Amino acid sequence: MSMTMDSFTASVRRFSPRLLLSELLLKQWFEPVIPFTVMIGLWLYFALTIPDYASTQNMLSLLRLFAEFGFVALAMSFCLITGGIDLSVGAIFALCNFAALFFLLVLEWPVGVVIVATLAVGAALGSINGFLVGHLKTRPFLTTLVTLIILRASVNLLNTSYAQVFATNSVDSDAWDFLGVGSVLGIPINAATLFVVLLVCHIFLSRSRYGWHLTAIGASRKAARHAGIRVRLMLFFTYVLSGTLCAASGIFYAARQSSTDSTTGVGWEFQALTAVVLGGVSLAGGKGTVWRAMIGAIIIFLLINGLVRMGIPGYVTSAVTGMILLAAVGIDVKWAKNRGKAIQKIYVNPAFVALAPAPSVQRGSGSPFAQNDRLIHAQAIGVDQVEGPEDVILDRHDRLYGSTRDGNIIRFSGENFTTREIFAHIGGRPLGMQFDRDENLIVAVAGMGVYGVAPDGRVFKVTDETNRTWYKLNDDSRLRMADDLDIAPDGKIYFSDCTTRYEMTTNTLDILEARPNGRLVCYDPATKTTRTVINHFYFPNGVCASHDGRSLLIASTSLCKVFRYWLEGPKKGRTEVLIDELPGNPDNINRASDGTYWLALVGIRTPTFDLASRKPGFRLRMVKQVPADEWLAPALNHGCVLKFNEAGEALESWWDPTGISHSTLTSMREHKGYLYLGGLENNRIGRIKLDGVDDTWTGYDAYWGAKSRVTR
Amino acid sequence: MGFFDHLMRDVRSVIDRDGGGQNEIPPLDGALSPNDRLDACLPIGEPLPGVDDVVADRDGAVYASAGRRVFKLSGQGFATRALVAEFGGDAGGLALHPDGRLLVCVAGRGLAALDPANPAPRWCEAAGGRAFAGLTSVVAAPDGRIFAVEGSVGRSPDQWRSDLMEKRRNGRLVGISPSFDAAEVLLDGLAYPYGVAIAADGNSLWFTESWAHRVSALPLDRNGAAVPEVKVGNMAGYPARLHGDGHGGFLLAMFARRTHLIEFVLKEDDFREEMIATMNPDYWIAPALAGGADCLEPMQIGSVKALGIQKPWAPPRSYGLVVHLDGEGEATDSLHSRAGGRFHGVTAACATPQGVVIAAKGTGRLLLDPGGLR
Repeated sequence: MSMTMDSFTASVRRFSPRLLLSELLLKQWFEPVIPFTVMIGLWLYFALTIPDYASTQNMLSLLRLFAEFGFVALAMSFCLITGGIDLSVGAIFALCNFAALFFLLVLEWPVGVVIVATLAVGAALGSINGFLVGHLKTRPFLTTLVTLIILRASVNLLNTSYAQVFATNSVDSDAWDFLGVGSVLGIPINAATLFVVLLVCHIFLSRSRYGWHLTAIGASRKAARHAGIRVRLMLFFTYVLSGTLCAASGIFYAARQSSTDSTTGVGWEFQALTAVVLGGVSLAGGKGTVWRAMIGAIIIFLLINGLVRMGIPGYVTSAVTGMILLAAVGIDVKWAKNRGKAIQKIYVNPAFVALAPAPSVQRGSGSPFAQNDRLIHAQAIGVDQVEGPEDVILDRHDRLYGSTRDGNIIRFSGENFTTREIFAHIGGRPLGMQFDRDENLIVAVAGMGVYGVAPDGRVFKVTDETNRTWYKLNDDSRLRMADDLDIAPDGKIYFSDCTTRYEMTTNTLDILEARPNGRLVCYDPATKTTRTVINHFYFPNGVCASHDGRSLLIASTSLCKVFRYWLEGPKKGRTEVLIDELPGNPDNINRASDGTYWLALVGIRTPTFDLASRKPGFRLRMVKQVPADEWLAPALNHGCVLKFNEAGEALESWWDPTGISHSTLTSMREHKGYLYLGGLENNRIGRIKLDGVDDTWTGYDAYWGAKSRVTR
Repeated sequence: MGFFDHLMRDVRSVIDRDGGGQNEIPPLDGALSPNDRLDACLPIGEPLPGVDDVVADRDGAVYASAGRRVFKLSGQGFATRALVAEFGGDAGGLALHPDGRLLVCVAGRGLAALDPANPAPRWCEAAGGRAFAGLTSVVAAPDGRIFAVEGSVGRSPDQWRSDLMEKRRNGRLVGISPSFDAAEVLLDGLAYPYGVAIAADGNSLWFTESWAHRVSALPLDRNGAAVPEVKVGNMAGYPARLHGDGHGGFLLAMFARRTHLIEFVLKEDDFREEMIATMNPDYWIAPALAGGADCLEPMQIGSVKALGIQKPWAPPRSYGLVVHLDGEGEATDSLHSRAGGRFHGVTAACATPQGVVIAAKGTGRLLLDPGGLR
């Protein structure tokens, strides 16, 4: 009972609405959520206040009314996405409406020809805009304003000449009637067509090369041109597309109404603009989808239609839409500018952690953790020739490797390790290393994944992604910060990816957040697949395959514990705590020659940091109010190496208590009677002579050679 | 402190900008620009653990208090060291009376006056009905009147850290007659008055308030009932003792720098109370006279040694700073020992013909600055 209560409180403490929100806000698809809610809310409101509003009959007739406006809004959204605007959409629509009627009633062309001819008229009118905007580089706003005025005048002129003719002539065509009042699967034909067009446009915009080009032009015209995109041509065709969509709208309108007058399409450019911006298509260009445009269009349509039905005068409706446009534009600008900041403000969400009591490190206390000075006089190798060797390892030829912060693997060889060479340049931040059976050096590289270096120095990729967790909002398929790795007897590479929310440069935030953001991942060279083995791990750091190869030891830096994960045997697949109480933050774990293990403590727990870990609010406010350099940290300027046995009992410790030679000590490797020391921020590799150990023992032999303790 | 309190405080900090003036730690610039000159000072003789105050006499020798003892150092390079007195409690502030007596603040006891002719000290042990538990500094005016400050009434000076973290303002300024017959409280409710000095013209009394990060001056009219005037406000560190430089200015010792983390913890009542209740004061997030030697001390991210070096600009656990103020309170020069430096926790500095003698309590050293601080 208490177990379930504990895990319940733990999950309550772990859940954070802020965290959910910050991750939601990062998602592209989350952006139209407010317009979408408004749309639903508006519909519900009218459904409740207007009788019979929610009936199928009414819905279908609304759809039929909406579809034509939908085409126009779509035309507008394309122009906005390219960073332009098309104010002439309403006028083109009106002119195409006229053209369709003219072709049908005056020239008496067949319906099919009428459709093609009308679309051609729309395209031709759009191409005028396209030519001016794309090739002559005129301002879209003024250009389309001018075309709006000219086309509107033309429509009025033509209307007066032909209104009489249209009113008297009529054509008896089933096809034409179908366009006006027909349905497909119960859906009005124009709405069905709109839906198909939307689908095509969506795929075009989001999945096709040209769609991406359009968005790129909208985001930055100059950058798009530099990237080799044919900006002029793309813009030209955008306006042609806009004209064509308006023409389609005009055809359906003509078929439905069979009339034209001076008010057809008046103010539609304004309504379409309001709709599209409201839906979340940015006025600044480069951002938007067809669905967002439709959400906005539906809101505006429902609003105008509903207000008219409620008997509100037209000028009030116009004023309301004007207000909405103003608000939408304001929000669009502010949101685009501050979204990143808003996310940043709520991204870090510290959680409560109850650390186990810290054992005493008091000098002379007799505890295995008692401070001493055994590392202060460690022999220094390559002083100022290595920048932060996070991990160190030796090969069969007694050459020493260090993974440094400049993305290199540095190799020291020769008498007293005086020969320094860059063994390989991988890039990223190389961290944990291990030799595989073929003597390839496998390296965990923060920011890149897991890489290998062949004995000849050739770098190859092992893996850089794992399976995505289906229920996580953050895409965690990429390896963010591969930290340490080890290789099981079967050749599988197990590595820790210590955080999926932060990067190498911000990983202190993960420690402060103290949430299970990390994971243990396994790469199987036999199948060349990568799978997450343990998800939700508190900053997994050091990984070491046990001497018998039946389990993995995993250090959790933020929980200050060491865990054992069973690879086989009766407990296979289970994780258990191996060392519960540690005086510091554990880092790498490695095998020792006598069948025990080495563990580096990168930081020592301080009473204040322990207290802060129980106070998530304190840490949250600290992250917000205090400059990053001044955040509280565990004590990192102290070096400590521990030895522990298979039962998880600490046996001995080696210290440099004030970090004179070895601060931020992250790794150690035993080799032929010496212990080699590496540090994340140090300028050297250290080594000390170990007494009473097997002087012939090497790491390679312990994994792949005669010293292996794997029992089969 | 609940969510609402934090919200209200944030709102207040936006609305009431002036009231929040104390919150912003000013940068060290101008005359306070960081340097390494304090590290370059010469240590005088063997270490003096707990060295606290240092004053110069007319002959160029200095008196220094360290632990329970008071020493007199004289000769070239102050090489000659002589024990002057030893007390039952820690000796702190020192002053020389115009009549030749040496005045010593003794923790837990009061003010002692040592007459060279008379080995037994004379004591002043209370004022305003409260015993002197923790006098921090004393000074004598040219007319013989004695002024002393007590950092926190009823608290010994070694508990200064608790006093700051409990956000107390319980110090007082006391006026004592030359004969020790009468002692009256001139000001109380002060934010840990630490140092006191008489201006060169003898008309005003200057004193520091550590927790308020300021130096104030009180006019010394015979009428009393004067109001102190803030001469230097919102300093970048915690001012300690103040001694005249003999040329109209002052030598101000700052025993620690303010850091954003400490200021933040001072606002976090819940954290602070638990910290005070459960931890050894050496491990608090609080100013320190010396630091870095114990791995249980709090540490800040920027203090991580990079490539084996502690960066001087890292957020300091402890710091060494001596500032020279002119007669108006304007800083004109300063000596620094930054993060990773040698001489931290300076509590006093005095001018002598051989140079400025500095008491670095954190390091337990007396230092001589031959460079001429001005």
